[in-house]
Order: sequence, then C-alpha cells, then structure tokens
Amino acid sequence: MIETGYLQVLAAAALALLALILTKIKAVPVEKEIAFGSVRAFVQLVAVGYALEFIFDSESFWLVLLSVTVMLVVGAYTAGQRAEHFKSGFTIALIAMGVGSLATLAMMLALKIITVEARYIIPLAGMLISNSMNATAISFNRIGSDLKNNRLAVETALSLGKTWKQASRQYYRDSVRAGMISILNFLKTVGLVALPGAMTGMILAGASPLDAVLIQLVVGYMLLMAVSISALISAEMAVRKFFNAAEQFIG
Amino acid sequence: MSCNETLILRSRELSREISKNGSKIKTVDAVTFDFNKGVVYNIVGPSGAGKSSFLRLLNRLDEATGGEVLYYDKKLQDYPPTELRRKISMLFQTPYLFPGTVRDNLQFCCPGKSVIDPDFHLKRVGLSADYADRDAADLSVGEKQRVAIARSLFLEPDVLLLDEPTSALDPTSSRKIEELILSLADELCLTVLIVTHNPGQALRLGGRALLLVKGRLIETGETSEVLTNPTSELGRKYLSRELE
Repeated sequence: MIETGYLQVLAAAALALLALILTKIKAVPVEKEIAFGSVRAFVQLVAVGYALEFIFDSESFWLVLLSVTVMLVVGAYTAGQRAEHFKSGFTIALIAMGVGSLATLAMMLALKIITVEARYIIPLAGMLISNSMNATAISFNRIGSDLKNNRLAVETALSLGKTWKQASRQYYRDSVRAGMISILNFLKTVGLVALPGAMTGMILAGASPLDAVLIQLVVGYMLLMAVSISALISAEMAVRKFFNAAEQFIG
Repeated sequence: MSCNETLILRSRELSREISKNGSKIKTVDAVTFDFNKGVVYNIVGPSGAGKSSFLRLLNRLDEATGGEVLYYDKKLQDYPPTELRRKISMLFQTPYLFPGTVRDNLQFCCPGKSVIDPDFHLKRVGLSADYADRDAADLSVGEKQRVAIARSLFLEPDVLLLDEPTSALDPTSSRKIEELILSLADELCLTVLIVTHNPGQALRLGGRALLLVKGRLIETGETSEVLTNPTSELGRKYLSRELE
C-alpha cells in the first residue's frame, strides 16, 4: 500500500508547479487557473476529508441526510443552469436526479449490496448524483437546442395531426441517448481504455485487483441505473415544457 | 365534384396579442370573416401585417387571445387538436419532408395502417408514380412542396392553409403550384387560404382576397377588385407600394 501524507501531497504538488512553468514558457494564459485551481482543489478536498471523517465517526443519520441533500441541491442547481430554453430547470433536475440517485441507492440497500453506513452512503450518493447531474445537464441542453432548431419539423408533424409526444419523439430519444452517452461509453471501454477511478483508488490503497473489479462492476451498474432514470425523467419533463394542452409548440 | 360554396369556417373578432420587448402587440386584431367551401382566398398585405399569424390561429397552431373560430358551427376548441389539424391542414413556406422516402412521407400520418397508391396520390399533385420510392432529401424545393401538398391531401382535409408556399420557388415552379392549387380547390372542393406577398400571384389565383394591415382586416372582396380598385386609403397605400 502507498504511504500517503501531506509530504507526499506536497511532492505531487511539484507536478502542478511543473505544469504551470511549462504553460508559462509557452505563453499559454492559464497560469492563474492552474495556481488557483491547485490551491482550491487542496482546500476543498482537505475540508471534505475532515467533514467526512466527522460524519463517519458521528454515524448521525441527520448529517448523512444533510450531506446528500446539499449534494442533490447543488447538483440540481448546476444542471438546471443548462435549461436555457425552458423554465423550471432546477425543479426538473431536482426530481430527475433525486429519483435516479435515491432509487438506485434504495435498490442497493434493499439488495444488501451496501449497508446503512455513512461511509457507503455518502461516497456512493456523491457518485450517483454527479453522474445524474451530468446526464440531466446534457439531456437539457440537447432537448432545448434540438426542439428550437427543428421548429419547422415539429410544427409540420403537429399540422399533420400528430400529438406533441409523437412530434417530439425523435428529439426526446436523442436527448435521453445524449444524457446516457458517457455511461454507455464507460461500459464499452472500461478496463480497455482506462481503469476507472474507484477501482484505481482501491488498488492503490492495497485491495486485490479482483475485489476492486467487483466493486467497480457494482458501481458501473449502479451508475447505469441512476443515469438512465435521470436522463429519461429530465428529457420527458423538459419536452413537456415546450408544448401545452392544445398540442401547441410554445418553445 | 360539385361544390356549392357552403360556409365552412368563420372567424369572429379573432385576435392575438403577444408580448414583445415588454410591450403588448396585436398581431391579429378583431378579424371577422366567413370562408366557404371550394374557394381560394388570398391573404395579402405588407410584411408584418399578421397574415401568417392569422393562418396559424385557424388550425390552432397558436391560440387566439380574443374572439373565436367556428368550423362547421363548432368552436375550434370543441375539436381535439389532432383531429382538427387533419381537417384544417397547414403547409409552411419551406416544405419540410421527414427523413425517408416520398412514400414514408405520404403515410406519415398513419404508418402501417395506410396504403399509398402512387398512381393516385402522387399524380394528383403532378408527380409521376415512380417518385414514391425516391429519397425525400433528393427532391428539389418545388417537388418537396408538391409532396408536402400530397401528404396533406392524404388526410382528406376540408381546408388547406398555405403560408407563402411558392416564396422559395422559381417562377416556373411557382406557376405550377398555383395551377395545382386551383385544380385541387375545384376538383376536391377544397377551401384554400394562401398567404402571398405577391399581388400578381393573388390575381392569377383569383377567388377572393383579404387585405390585412397591422393585424386588421382592411378590405375584402373579389381578388381582382381588392387588388386593382381598393376602396380604403390603407388599401391604396399598400397597392401603390407593391406596384413600385
């Protein structure tokens, strides 16, 4: 197992410094971002580390709930910003991500894959919520631009007596698919192109590769479910925002 | 088919108000008019007169904010929108054909349930039967517009709403579409409302004309009367501008 302390982190920070020097030599104007980003990552992660230590030690249900709620609200707010062409992006994102992540977490508890412990719930909820957030944001972006750019096609279909659902079906499907593309690519290439983060982390921490693989598979399937649900719900709810009860395109 | 010019569509004080840059604008302002079966109506007027906006209210692509439209004595709102739009079908300035063949487009309304007879459905819009299996993307704009008309006719509508259907076409193709419109109105007893910015086209189509200015119906009557001898000051202004 690798020995990791602040000294090792400081040594690794030299790599960030090297990146800064290289970009400075080549006059790529990113030095401020590298410097600020590196310090910010350090502060954020150390703070989260202490917070997690505290929560794990306290085993307080309320602290776990608060942590998950904060993650969900911040994630929904971020994804909601992608709803440029319709209203209620935050609410839709909150529902889509909430259902996707929490239903998956509940299933994992029900199937006894994990137990009700802060050290399982919080990291897994974080992974589920961040992946759901990306799926939701991408779905929002895709459905908004597709419907705006294909107004003529949508209104042609409506003019031929199609329902709003039929008129927008193709764009709904494309939006769900776009939201899922990252997890689908992950499933295709996992182990071939890159070793995923959770698995790499476990191996570096001294776990056997096979144990790490099994955990990674659990994580992969878990993410697939959460992302699918979030993409389906966000696209479905977002499409509805473009039509009214009279089958009129109001986007 | 005999066509006895019975009343089919009535617009009563029809209005639509929209918000633009914080202020309210009436795109259609209290338009009252009766449309009969089998007649071609030219909707004319300057840019921004509300011609297309008026058309969109007649099959509920947009919702009126005032007044009403009656289709066979029933309010448009009394019909399910999907059913209504099959009977009052709208075609746009740029014809949109869905990916696939011409046949796929013709049976777009009811895939799997409908049988296309290219000899009938395509020939009546002036296209040969072998167009049925051609890729829609390979057609010229004029051919696309014909297929779009054939696709609408497949629904057996009572009213065709055409929003500047020839604006993207060359003069020869435009004339062919005009001839097609006239023959369809006559043979199928179809009511055709056509938005045009071209007084010459309106005169060739004949029928009746509605002159809209700033959303208001300024003048109506036989197309030749409205466009050659307008009675209102606004009508005369519009015509003099167009003739310039």
